[in-house]
Amino acid sequence: MSDKLEAYLEEISHYLAGRAEREEILSEIRSHIMEKAAEGPGEFTDAAIERAIASFGPARKVAERYLAESRPIIAPAYKRYLVRYTSLLFALHAALTVLAVVLKKELIVFPLLYIPSVSVIGALMYLPAAFLTDLGAVALVLYFITQSGKDIQLPWPKFGVDLDEFKPRPKRFWLSRIATAVGAVIMLAITDFALYLFARHQTIFFVNMDWTDPRPLFSPGAGRRLSLIVIAMFATTTLSLLVKLLTRSRWVDVVSNVVSLALIGLVLTQPFDNLFAPEIAGKILPKLGPWLKYTILYSLLFVALMIAIDLVKHIVIISRRKLAKSF
Amino acid sequence: MTELDIGSLETEMNRGFLHILVLSLLEKDMYGYSMVKHMEVLGYKVEENTLYPLLRRLEKNGWIASKWDLTEDRPRKFYAITAKGRALRAGLLDVWKNQNRVLDEITKETPHV
Repeated sequence: MSDKLEAYLEEISHYLAGRAEREEILSEIRSHIMEKAAEGPGEFTDAAIERAIASFGPARKVAERYLAESRPIIAPAYKRYLVRYTSLLFALHAALTVLAVVLKKELIVFPLLYIPSVSVIGALMYLPAAFLTDLGAVALVLYFITQSGKDIQLPWPKFGVDLDEFKPRPKRFWLSRIATAVGAVIMLAITDFALYLFARHQTIFFVNMDWTDPRPLFSPGAGRRLSLIVIAMFATTTLSLLVKLLTRSRWVDVVSNVVSLALIGLVLTQPFDNLFAPEIAGKILPKLGPWLKYTILYSLLFVALMIAIDLVKHIVIISRRKLAKSF
Repeated sequence: MTELDIGSLETEMNRGFLHILVLSLLEKDMYGYSMVKHMEVLGYKVEENTLYPLLRRLEKNGWIASKWDLTEDRPRKFYAITAKGRALRAGLLDVWKNQNRVLDEITKETPHV
């Protein structure tokens, strides 16, 4: 018996693992290939068997012909539920992660969610893994529902604006490009001005507008670090607007959002103590210290949450488009 | 319409046709390879790896029956149509004839089709 034939059948067998009639299928394929090889031109040789195998088709394709009758992993009708349920679960996950960061405690919703006590940077590292976990959990549930073969009516939770019903207004090509270009020019000017201020004063935060005697808001070290982070944010926005002049891909927004989230995370890691310049700290901290600290913290977390929501929205829209193409 | 489009649609059309063809051929006991050869002689090329899963499906539903013949040099699995299969074939032929009739009517009504 040809080694090539046995290797070919072994490969088909691998793809058909778990099917009771596997041996029967393999016997029949073996019989067919032997028949064909014997009737071909010339002797019954390995070359003739190879030709017969090539004519029968690649092992995976052959196995798929048999597997096509079995149920899909997730029924096509449930595919859109995968995106919708994952979005909802991830929104809950993200909200609880923000809560875990603020409260500095771990949160458990057994057996669905476990959010460790993490820093802001840790949370930003944790969220992508959380998204994949949520996707896997929802896929697993839909897999079991599909395999049960039962006609189960799943609830269809609606958002404020359902993306299915959302019909974007026809975009006016040049108008949107001009708006983006104007935005890019304004952001470029702001970034340039911030860089100019930073080059001259090592900070971009001041308590007065008198350029002959500028008084920095923050202490030198903190002012330098925060200025660099904010300039990086300006530069990110400028760059994304410039790129959007060339392509309207939502991946540009995704990258811009991720970078912005990372930069906000960096801001949040800066120590609050010794943040303000001594003369400012002496005036405001005794009265407003704790209030100011939490106002800054919650404002930044709110901005981070808005960016995270925007990020999830873009990812969901990209996923939906890919899903629509796969149908 | 590209050749690729026709190819994929032809595959879909063949799915039903192949059922009728196999059920018609199996009035006489035949094994897989002999069916492929016979169809080729008739001018119909069947993908070999499509035929066997179809035979399995037909057998699972009781429309055909099979038995291995081990008396020759090489083992061969012979198939034959069952009474249930004949009833199915009659029904499928009716469907097919009706489809042909409809197409004929349309062709007569609109000659450029």
